[in-house]
Amino acid sequence: MTDDMPEGQEPFGEDEFDGGPLEAELRQAAAILDPVPAQLREIAVAAFALHDLDARIAGLTFDSVVDAIPVRGAEDVPRMLTFSAGEVTVDVEVTAQGLMGQVLPPRPARIEVLGGPQTAVTVDADAMGRFSSDAPLTGPFALRLRTGAEVVVTEWTRA
Amino acid sequence: MTVGTVHSAAYDDVSYTRGGVVDRADVGALVRSAVDGDAAAWKALVEGLSPLVWSVVRAHRLGDADAHEVYQTVWFRFAQNLGRIREPEKAGSWLASTARHESLKVLKSLRRLTVTSDPQLLDRVSEERTPEQSVLDSEEAAAESERIRWMWQEFEELGDRCRQLLRVLMASPPPSYQEVSAALGIAVGSIGPLRQRCLRRLRARLDARGAR
Repeated sequence: MTDDMPEGQEPFGEDEFDGGPLEAELRQAAAILDPVPAQLREIAVAAFALHDLDARIAGLTFDSVVDAIPVRGAEDVPRMLTFSAGEVTVDVEVTAQGLMGQVLPPRPARIEVLGGPQTAVTVDADAMGRFSSDAPLTGPFALRLRTGAEVVVTEWTRA
Repeated sequence: MTVGTVHSAAYDDVSYTRGGVVDRADVGALVRSAVDGDAAAWKALVEGLSPLVWSVVRAHRLGDADAHEVYQTVWFRFAQNLGRIREPEKAGSWLASTARHESLKVLKSLRRLTVTSDPQLLDRVSEERTPEQSVLDSEEAAAESERIRWMWQEFEELGDRCRQLLRVLMASPPPSYQEVSAALGIAVGSIGPLRQRCLRRLRARLDARGAR
């Protein structure tokens, strides 16, 4: 992460160069060559619908991409995620077919698999808290769990 | 050290007051309005801070598909946490830091599989044309277009550190140094001197190219 040019070969002295105009030109170039795609901006505007002041957020506490030691030679390892909010834990395994998981401590729950502001698939967890969805995840997702009077939402995560 | 501090303080004053879609000083008020259900305030936040989020993602050299997913994850998470953000006026830093974290995670998962492909920015045809892009359509603007592409090529050739810093700095409106610090995990005090050095290097490359 270092740049090649050694200290002694700086092309200008410290004081005589004003980078402001060049930075402004770069800003213009970025607006032309690499702007925020319009459809993404619209998705972000629509995401306002996702604010949910009543639900408890279950934070991501384990992610196999970050926390697991890769197995040598193993390919296509399933993505394992764990979300926690207080005593409620949700274990999720993401597969090419969709996802499966378990609510702990075991309890029945109605679970919405959210794929964005407009997409939701509803599944039910059984008495052991187990659930599965065969709708493949194509981008960021969150799970919204209703169990008894409580609503828990998992932190948005890339599948 | 003293020089760096003075630099960043001066720059922050500028970037907080410089015109843009969202004046950074209003960010806290907009977040509070959005928490109260004001959709227009949310939209203003998206308009004003989207370029920062996108710049952070691109600074980490994510290709289109990953960049789109990270961008969405960041905004979904921001919406989800809207009422829980402790310092609403620092929402830009919150977004930049989340974008950095998610970008690094993508890089980590990719490293396990294969090498990232660089986004093919120069060949990409955008479907919707921004006003800036339309300027390039006229024939008189051909030379200007050429110059911008040159500059972008030289920018892409800079070392990782400079390329990364400049990609974040070129967000519009200009990010504050706190936001840049959150975006790249570097100390606020080192940003001013590093910026100066990187812009000087880019200038030298452009001058050398012009002389060829």
